[in-house]
Amino acid sequence: MTRGAVQPSDEELVAAVLEGDREGFGALVERYQGRLVNYLFRLLRNAEDAHDLAQEVLVKVYQVLDRYDPQYKFSTWLFRIAQNAAIDQIRRRRLKLVSLRIEGEDGEGRDWELPAPERGPYGDLRNRERAAAIQRAIDGLPWEYRELILLRHYGELPYEEIARLKQMPLGTVKNKLFRGRQMLKEKLQGFLTD
Amino acid sequence: MNERPDHTLYRELLNLELDGCLNVEQRSRLAAHLAACPECVAEREQLRALTGLLERSALPVEPDFKQRVMASLPAAGWESRHPRTWSFPVAALAVLLAAGAGLLGAGSARPGGAASAYGVLAALGGLLRAALVAGVGVTAASWRWSEMFVEQLLASPMSLTMFGVFVVCLNLVLVSLIRRGAGRHGSGEAAAAGPGTGHRSGARRGSHRGGRSTRGGRGR
Repeated sequence: MTRGAVQPSDEELVAAVLEGDREGFGALVERYQGRLVNYLFRLLRNAEDAHDLAQEVLVKVYQVLDRYDPQYKFSTWLFRIAQNAAIDQIRRRRLKLVSLRIEGEDGEGRDWELPAPERGPYGDLRNRERAAAIQRAIDGLPWEYRELILLRHYGELPYEEIARLKQMPLGTVKNKLFRGRQMLKEKLQGFLTD
Repeated sequence: MNERPDHTLYRELLNLELDGCLNVEQRSRLAAHLAACPECVAEREQLRALTGLLERSALPVEPDFKQRVMASLPAAGWESRHPRTWSFPVAALAVLLAAGAGLLGAGSARPGGAASAYGVLAALGGLLRAALVAGVGVTAASWRWSEMFVEQLLASPMSLTMFGVFVVCLNLVLVSLIRRGAGRHGSGEAAAAGPGTGHRSGARRGSHRGGRSTRGGRGR
């Protein structure tokens, strides 16, 4: 059995970029683009905005790459910057859309519509229903659970990194993820047997 | 002995299992419980289904996303501070200096004397001064610009050849100017020293037409 070539670690790639190897940053982009775009997509609920913000985040990361402290994981640093950028954007949007706020059936306000179907990867009705249900279920989670679910499932960060990023004890992270998943499971019960 | 199993505890363990965070002891404890608890087995299936559902809902990244990011990267402040970014301009300067010195050496390869040594030194000084001025200008403009310039230069053999011809011509003009200045200085010395030095000043005048003429003059 042959093994593929050993991939350089994130920290090695960052060191190479700081030595002048610009392509090393391309490798980092490739490594994180899926996780970053999906994490931001679930927060912003719009594919185009998610791509634009992911690009902004990566450009910002490049600009301040010399400030990265290699004693921490690169992914923790990247997602911290991404989370701050997303929260800023959400705040700006709230300010812009406050007059367009719509009332849900339950009387709670919703700030945005679901992603437009033509922007999403879903072709048929069932897929669209499922996509909408997932987004609703995630949106319905309290923020403290939602952010951890997104970091774990879309950012693919391990518990330790989430704990460091959120400055929470490891036990709290495990507990919140457990509760968040239980809530998601209940909300998505009808789709778990597909 | 009839201890009721704490499902909450096992459900927490199921979550840890899903994330690959169980230690050996927890794993064996969970396995023993699952063997006797269909409820928790169903819970495990649901958790796996949930994870699969979330994974399948992932948004595909736009195909040109990486290219867009790489194309939009600005010149970061740390780039200009790093030694490697200086290596190309320094190497280019060294090559130019070496080329200039080589041309000068070829142009003045004749029996030495104070005047020819002076000419070589003056030429090197002039080249150094010109290179410094050019270097400061290029640095002030942007390292990125110089990179783009070199990329364009290397893009086709024709542009590279044209640039080579330009550099050689520039050096020849510079050498010619410096030697003319040194010639005037040498003529003054020759006039002061008397007719015995006349041949050397004639050879120097011949060299004003370039390296080949110099060799021809020496032959006479």
